[in-house]
Amino acid sequence: MVEAELTTPRRSWTIVGEWELRDLWLGGRGLLLTLAFSVLVSMLTYLTATNRALNFLEQRESVNLTLQVAIAVGALLALVAAADTVSGERERGTLETLLLAPIPRLQLTLGKLGAAFSLSVAAFAITIPYVWFLGRGVGIVGAALASGAFVGMLLAVFLASLGTLVSVFAASNRVSLSVSLFLLLALFAPTQFPSGAQQGWLGEFLLRANPLTAGEHYVGKIVVDGHAWSQDVLWLASPIVAAALFALLVAVAGARFMHLSRGSSR
Amino acid sequence: MSAAVEADGVRKLYGELVAVEDLTFSVAPGQILGVLGPNGAGKTTAIRVLTTLLAPSRGTFAVAGVPHTRPLEIRRRIGVLPESTGYPERQTGEEFMRYHARLYGHARASAVAVAAKLLADVGLADRRRSLIAGYSRGMRQRLGIARALVNEPRVVFLDEPTLGLDPAGQRQVLSLVRRIARERGATVLLSTHLLAEVEEVCSHVLILNRGRVAALGTVSEVARRAAAPRSARLRVAPEHVEEALSVLARAPGIEHLARADGAPGSLTATNDGRTPNGHMNEALRRLVETGVPVLSFELEGARLSDAFLAMTEAG
Amino acid sequence: MTRLRPPVVVTIGALALAFVGAAGAVSNGLAVSVDRTGISTALGHKFVFRSTIVNQSTSPVSGLIAHLNVLSLRDGVYVDPEDWSSHRTHYLAPIPAGASVTLTWKLQAVNAGSFAIYVAVLPQRGAARPPITGPTVHVSIARRKTLNSGGTLPLVLGVPALLGALSFGVRVRRRTD
Repeated sequence: MVEAELTTPRRSWTIVGEWELRDLWLGGRGLLLTLAFSVLVSMLTYLTATNRALNFLEQRESVNLTLQVAIAVGALLALVAAADTVSGERERGTLETLLLAPIPRLQLTLGKLGAAFSLSVAAFAITIPYVWFLGRGVGIVGAALASGAFVGMLLAVFLASLGTLVSVFAASNRVSLSVSLFLLLALFAPTQFPSGAQQGWLGEFLLRANPLTAGEHYVGKIVVDGHAWSQDVLWLASPIVAAALFALLVAVAGARFMHLSRGSSR
Repeated sequence: MSAAVEADGVRKLYGELVAVEDLTFSVAPGQILGVLGPNGAGKTTAIRVLTTLLAPSRGTFAVAGVPHTRPLEIRRRIGVLPESTGYPERQTGEEFMRYHARLYGHARASAVAVAAKLLADVGLADRRRSLIAGYSRGMRQRLGIARALVNEPRVVFLDEPTLGLDPAGQRQVLSLVRRIARERGATVLLSTHLLAEVEEVCSHVLILNRGRVAALGTVSEVARRAAAPRSARLRVAPEHVEEALSVLARAPGIEHLARADGAPGSLTATNDGRTPNGHMNEALRRLVETGVPVLSFELEGARLSDAFLAMTEAG
Repeated sequence: MTRLRPPVVVTIGALALAFVGAAGAVSNGLAVSVDRTGISTALGHKFVFRSTIVNQSTSPVSGLIAHLNVLSLRDGVYVDPEDWSSHRTHYLAPIPAGASVTLTWKLQAVNAGSFAIYVAVLPQRGAARPPITGPTVHVSIARRKTLNSGGTLPLVLGVPALLGALSFGVRVRRRTD
C-alpha cells in the first residue's frame, strides 16, 4: 500500500480558478457571452456615431454613454456567471465531488469568483477600441478608460460577490439567477427615475448610496465634465464599500455555508 | 493495527428526522465492507458523514486513523464515488482527471501522468480526449472510480457504483472494486442494494435499517445469524422422482420433502437447520450413489438475501 | 474724384444689394442682407452662410443682437435649432454710421427636407422697436443614405466578427478533440 504523500496545494484557489476559466472560456460560454456583448456595444457605437455625425450627441457624451453601458453590462455578466457558481454545481450534481476535495472551502469560493470576474475584464477589454474610436481627438480616451476600468472593477467585484453569495444559499439555480437579477434591477431602477426625482437630499443620498449609480456618476463627471480624479472622489465611497463588504461576506459564507443540501446530487 | 474506519455512536439528524442512529462499527484495513440497506436506510447519509460531507449530530468517527475533527486530512486520505454524481459535460475525461489530481496535490506534470494511468486502469484510455458529454453511464462510473483513486487513498467509499449499469457494466465495476482492494491494499466500503454484489465481492457486510445497524460481520456470519432454514431445490430425471424421494426421506437431517412447481422432476428438500450444509451434502451424495440422475441442485435459504429480508422487514 | 454724398451712397448701396438679390429689410437705418438665398446640401453636412448688417443711419448704433432661426417649411418636421448650430446669437459691437459688420453662421444639416433660415437683428434695449429680419435662406437637405456613418463600420462589424470566429474555432477544436 502506498502511503499518501500528497499535501493540499497551498494556493488551491488558483487551481480552481484555472479550471473554472477553462470551463468558461474553452467550454464556449464565455466567448458567446462576450460575442453578444460586442454586438450590443457595436450597435450602440453605430447609433452613437450616427447621432454625433448629426450633432445630436457631443463627443464626450457619446464616449460616456458607451462606457456606462459597457460597465453596466460587464457587471451584469459577472453577476450572471457568479449566480451559477454554487447552485449550478449543486443542480448539475458536481458540487459533491468538489466538496470532497481536500481544499478549504474559502479557496474553492475564491477560485470560482475569479472566473466570474473574468467576464467583466473581457467585456471591458472589448470596449477599449470603441471608446478609443469615439473619443479620439478630444483627449478623453485615457481618462475615460482609466476611470471606467476602476469603477468597472469595483462594480464587478461587488456584483460577482453578490451573485456568489446568493448562489451559496439558493435552493436552486433558477432561484439564484432570479434573485440576483432582481437585485440588479433594483439597483438600476433609480437611473430610470426622472431627473426631478433625483433632486433633494434624499435623492442625492440614494444616488450616492447605490454603488451602481454612484460609480456611473463618477465616471460621467470625469468623461463629460472633465473633472479631475479627486474632485468627486466621495462618490466612490459606496462602490468601494460594497466591493469590500460583499467580498468579505462571500468569503465567510463560502467557507462556512457551502454545503450539500439534503437530497442534492440526485 | 488501527482500524481503517471506526465509528462510535454516530448520529445524524435532519431537523426532527433521524437519518442515522447509533452507528457503531469498525473496518479492518484491507477489508471490503458491503453496506446494505433498503431505500431510506441511511446508507448514503452514513457515507456522507464518514467522508466529512455532513457533520455528525453526535458521536465520533475516524477514517484512516484521522479523527473526524480533522476533515481536510480525512479527505486527503480517502477516495469517494458518490451516488449519482454529475460530471462537467464540456470537459474531457483527461481534463477532469488532471484537475482533480491537482486538487489533491499533484504537480502539473504528475497530474498528467496519474490521469493517463488511472484512465487506462479503468479502461478509458481510448476515450480520454472525448468530452464527458459523450460518455455512457458505465464510462462515467468508471471515470468516477478513477477520480476516487487519484490520491492513492487508504479508504475508498463507493456509493452504488453499479447503479443503472447493464450486467456487463456491473461486472466491470465489481472487477475494478476487487482490484482496488487487492492491488492497492485499500479498504473499500461498498454501499449497494444488490445482495449479489456483496456476496460476490465483499468479505464483510453491514446491514442498515431505518438508520440503525441491523447486522455486522462476515457474509456467512450474518447469513447464519438470520437462522433461516437451509433448503435445496433439485431436479432429477422425471422417471426417478419416486426413487429420489425415497432416498432423501432416509437422509439424515432432512426435515421436509415436496415436489416443486416448475420443470418435471423438481423437488425441494428442507433440512432441520442444525447443520445447514452438512445434511444437504450427505443427501446429495446418497442420491448420486443410488444412481439417480441429478439434473440440478441448488441450495436456498440462509442466504444473505434471507438475512437481509429478515432483518429489514422485522424493523 | 468727386466724393459722393451719403444719400447717394445709400441709394447705390441699396441698388447694389438688390442687384445681388440678397437685399433685406431696411429699418431704423439698419439693413440686413445675406450672401446667398438658396443652399442645397445633404444630411449631416456642415454649411456656412454670411449675413451683413449695414448701419445706414448717420449715427453709430450699438447694443444690437443678431439671432439665427431655423424652421421647417413642411408641417410635422421637428426642428431644434440648437442641433443645427450651437452659436446662434451674436452680441454686436457698436457699428459706426455707414459701416457694416458681416457675421458668419456655421450650421450642420441635421434634418432632411426643406427649411428656412433667417437672421433677426434686434436692439438690446428699447423693446418697442420691432426686430429687423434678413432675407430668408431656403435650405434643401437631401437624405443621405450611408451605412458607414462616422466611419464606424469596420469597427462595429470587425470586433463581433473576430469574436465570432474565435468562438467558432474553439467549438470546432473541442469537437475534433
